[in-house]
Amino acid sequence: MEYGVLVDTTRCIGCRSCQVSCKNENQLPAEVTQLAGHDTGLTNPRKLSAKTFTLVQYHEVDAPDSPGGMRFVFAKRQCMHCDQPACVSACPVTALSQEKHGGISYDEKKCIGCRYCVWACPFGVPTAEWNTLAPRIRKCDMCSDRILTDVRVPELNGQELSGESRARIETSYRLPACVKACATGALLYGRRADLLEEAHRRIEREPGRYHPHVYGEHEVGGTSYLYLSAVPFDQIGFRTDLGTKPYPAYTATALGFVPPAVVGLGIVLGGLHLLAQRKAFVAAEERERAESARNGGETP
Amino acid sequence: MTNHWIDLRNSDCVLIMGANPAENHPISFRWVLKAKERGAKVVCVDPRFTKSASQADIYARLRSGTDIAFLGGMIKYILDNDRMHRDYVVNYTNASFLVDDGFSFDAATALFSGYDEARNAYDEKTWQYRFHRVDPDARPETMTPAQRTEYDRVKALADAREPLKDPTLQDPRCVFQLLKRHFARYDAATVSQVTGTPVADLERVYAAFSTTGAPDKAGTIMYAMGWTQHTVGVQNIRAMTIVQMLLGNLGRAGGGVNALRGESNVQGSTDQALLFHILPGYLKAPRASQQTLDDYLKVNTPTAIGRNSANWWGNTPKYMVSLLKSMFGDAATPANGFGYDWLPRLQDSGNYSWMHLFDEMYEGRIRGLLAWGMNPACSGPNSTKTRQALAKLDWLVNVNIFPNETGWFFEDPGLGIRPEDIRTEVFVLPAAASVEKEGSISNSGRWMQWRYKAADAPGDALPDAEIMDLIFHELRALYQAEGGALPEPILNAKWDYFREHGGHREADVRAIAREINGYFLKDVTIGDKTFKAGTLVPAFGMLQADGSTSSGNWIYCASYTEAGNMSMRRTREPHGIGLNPEWAWAWPVNRRILYNRASVDPAGKPWKGTIPVVEWVGDRWVGDVPDGPWPPLAAEGGRLPFIMRADGHAALLATGLKDGPFPEHFEPLESPVTRNPFNGRLQNPVAARFRGELDKVAACGSDQYPYVCSTYRVTEHWQTGVMTRNAPWLLEAVPQIFVEMSEELARDLGIRAGEQVRVSSIRGALTAVALPTKRLRPLQVHGRTVHQVGLPWCFGWRVPNDGSGGDSANLLTPCAGDPNTTIPESKAFLVNIEKIDAVTQSAHLLPRRRNA
Repeated sequence: MEYGVLVDTTRCIGCRSCQVSCKNENQLPAEVTQLAGHDTGLTNPRKLSAKTFTLVQYHEVDAPDSPGGMRFVFAKRQCMHCDQPACVSACPVTALSQEKHGGISYDEKKCIGCRYCVWACPFGVPTAEWNTLAPRIRKCDMCSDRILTDVRVPELNGQELSGESRARIETSYRLPACVKACATGALLYGRRADLLEEAHRRIEREPGRYHPHVYGEHEVGGTSYLYLSAVPFDQIGFRTDLGTKPYPAYTATALGFVPPAVVGLGIVLGGLHLLAQRKAFVAAEERERAESARNGGETP
Repeated sequence: MTNHWIDLRNSDCVLIMGANPAENHPISFRWVLKAKERGAKVVCVDPRFTKSASQADIYARLRSGTDIAFLGGMIKYILDNDRMHRDYVVNYTNASFLVDDGFSFDAATALFSGYDEARNAYDEKTWQYRFHRVDPDARPETMTPAQRTEYDRVKALADAREPLKDPTLQDPRCVFQLLKRHFARYDAATVSQVTGTPVADLERVYAAFSTTGAPDKAGTIMYAMGWTQHTVGVQNIRAMTIVQMLLGNLGRAGGGVNALRGESNVQGSTDQALLFHILPGYLKAPRASQQTLDDYLKVNTPTAIGRNSANWWGNTPKYMVSLLKSMFGDAATPANGFGYDWLPRLQDSGNYSWMHLFDEMYEGRIRGLLAWGMNPACSGPNSTKTRQALAKLDWLVNVNIFPNETGWFFEDPGLGIRPEDIRTEVFVLPAAASVEKEGSISNSGRWMQWRYKAADAPGDALPDAEIMDLIFHELRALYQAEGGALPEPILNAKWDYFREHGGHREADVRAIAREINGYFLKDVTIGDKTFKAGTLVPAFGMLQADGSTSSGNWIYCASYTEAGNMSMRRTREPHGIGLNPEWAWAWPVNRRILYNRASVDPAGKPWKGTIPVVEWVGDRWVGDVPDGPWPPLAAEGGRLPFIMRADGHAALLATGLKDGPFPEHFEPLESPVTRNPFNGRLQNPVAARFRGELDKVAACGSDQYPYVCSTYRVTEHWQTGVMTRNAPWLLEAVPQIFVEMSEELARDLGIRAGEQVRVSSIRGALTAVALPTKRLRPLQVHGRTVHQVGLPWCFGWRVPNDGSGGDSANLLTPCAGDPNTTIPESKAFLVNIEKIDAVTQSAHLLPRRRNA
């Protein structure tokens, strides 16, 4: 949990650049959506899913003392990247793991599709793909690829870059895509300790602007994503009943009995996993054959 | 913008009114929030609690279409409470000028002097200044020495066309006193009755913004279509410029009057004259009565008023001749008026703006249309009329990057004409998108920034310039072969910006950029320096009226010099006030803040305590590029800051506008109220109107159409949405048309959130998803409740292709607009909202198939 993102909702204007740039970064398909009377009607898609790793939720909050008697609050939601993640501890096959920068990433090669992670997550984040034969678990991984890969940009548009420009551009590649896209500085990426310090500094400097709480500092033992808000967090859709104890701690004793059981279960599940993969492979092949038959025998 | 985006951070008070930049110009909020961090107050005035309002320290709601009442109250507040920057007002505005004795305003008729009922227009004769005059029959040789001295003094002033002034601002006929009298009627109580804004909110806004009248404070205004799209659009902006003049905010860092342009390059397109009434660089388009170049120059070259006026438009001949040389090359000679005859002329009172063109089309007088990079079927007012007009064309060429509603207008389910009965021949030309070609864009801050090609265009799509080149060559070949009426403009056009490349002609956009800058066509000696023929002109100060220079657009002269393409520069300013003089290039001559000579006192020193923009250091200016090289006003040879005006002063009282020298409140053409407490007239008498069978207007106070409606945009969709509705991630975020209304109105009508409702005006109707919201609240206007509703105009029936997006909000808007610009009144018109039954509902706006 060395790194994280500070989301200052008081600086967010709800432009959804983070939402769209995430779709682009992860090449996620669009969902079929419709406006409805939920969350001001403007939140779309409605919730996180295997096709949507980050989204901006809109909230209209009554606030008699604020300008206009209300607040219009935008809250970016995504995986919170817990310090002691319930999903990782629930995963029987280490398909979910914590990267060194703090992001929780997922290895589809290891996944057996048990969906324990989906049930374990206190924030309801990991989601399985429902429309494929070999469903993967999908969620934000805090852009591990971007952050853990060194990018070199010696020139731009045929012009050699100065040291300063080059450093600036290269640094921008090593940010989560959402943070890079944020126009107003509502998202800040950095060492979690620094972000916490910054968050408390902001609250101290402008007590009238902020609700005096950094969400994610202690919730479920601490998360990499940290939030600041002008209004109490329960008013903008955050769970405030989660406690500060890490989720894996609740099950530590019980889980002590698990390893012997898992050895046996693992063999069974492993077999099922192979079977599932085989099924998916066959199905894909059949689809391809059918497709090529429709195209007059030509392989597309 | 007089200033630029980054400069917003220097402001002490940011007023957002007639715009919603957090939604429509999100990057601007980077700088608004920086200003806020530095202690600035952000004030938002809007009928709806917008995303911009969500960041405001002060928010006030008003009824759409009442901005002049709101701002008139602010002008009165500033004057009553002595908040103005007096030295600025006295020195740099025309406050002290004495006005013709015939000037008057009659509140009973709401008319200024000079109104001609027969023409429904004003004669401006009585709006002029009074000048120093000597008795033409005086005989100086008979005068005493004292009389003679006085006579000579006055004669010199008269010869320089010096207006009579009262620097104490006490003379009842000076502009300042006339202004004060005009706005005396705009007291907060009456304003509140009209705008629906509680008096306390009015005063909160007035107090906050008028603090910037202190010489060490600067306030800025961010406005956009929320002000322009009214029958009083220009006067809305005039009202604000008067506020900015009184507070001394023009020309200052963190100040100015900042129009937020609605497209990334709309500044560039106006600069390059994609409007009927201008030529590149805001030179006026020739009119029919200006038969020769001399006629044209005589009418359009102003004479300086007063000794200290720079009167920059006095250079018009240099810019016009250089433009003609750029257009016609060697064919433009002194003998043929540099080809002036080959330019099209407008009828003297002719108006060829959007609504007029589509009216002509509807009447069958225009037979063909090039719809280039636009989607009139959804973007123009009164879409029904627009689409009917398209059906009357012989031919329509639709150039776009996606299939749009315009090119397929015959499929419109609401058109009421069977496609087989439509005679219009439609040609579709696929164009390359902005990232598929090289070129420049000019942003709102007038920064010309070069951008590079990132990808090849798909299929047959070509850059616009290459499409134009193909059409041009076909036309030229036809004129060469067949002659025809007036072939000279085409045959003589200088057209050498294309090169053979890989078997086709490719646009050399850098050559076009150089042409826009301009060349020396002969060796020209200026001062002690000789410029060689064929070299690029370093700046517009060197353009000539004798045909020895060319320039495709004088305001862009200096953008591409022998030192290179300035718009490609990418050096950041490490510290300073955000001017970034070596990042890209700004017109004119890389000046980042216009009228910056007003940021200093007459001695050339920055107003005390301000962020310096320029400063006179004894023999030269430092800081931003000043508005001209002359020394400061108080020095020998000094000049006034407002160099584009013949009198060099900012105009509290202005000539040249069709609806009067001072703003006056009028109701929108369609208004829920039937009285105007400020004057005896309900609506702008000279508003642009049309009287065709489809140009229906609902009566004010209509029971049938009781709600005030505005149209607007959303972050996720751009203009009519042709680009963004085709981008699945954006359509996913905002999938369909909605109508926002207060929770109170929804309750009154029994409408639930998310249900489909019918929104109708007297001109058309559409189905939209109802979104009741706390962000709209009922207003109390003249003691009764008025509801404001609104909907975005970014949808069309064609994409998404199952129709679930709905159709254009412009089905509702009227063909009526501002008398000066003829922009339509899309921000204030009347609608009705009705529930529709469940069976009908299920047939509307439900997404069926998409992104398969």
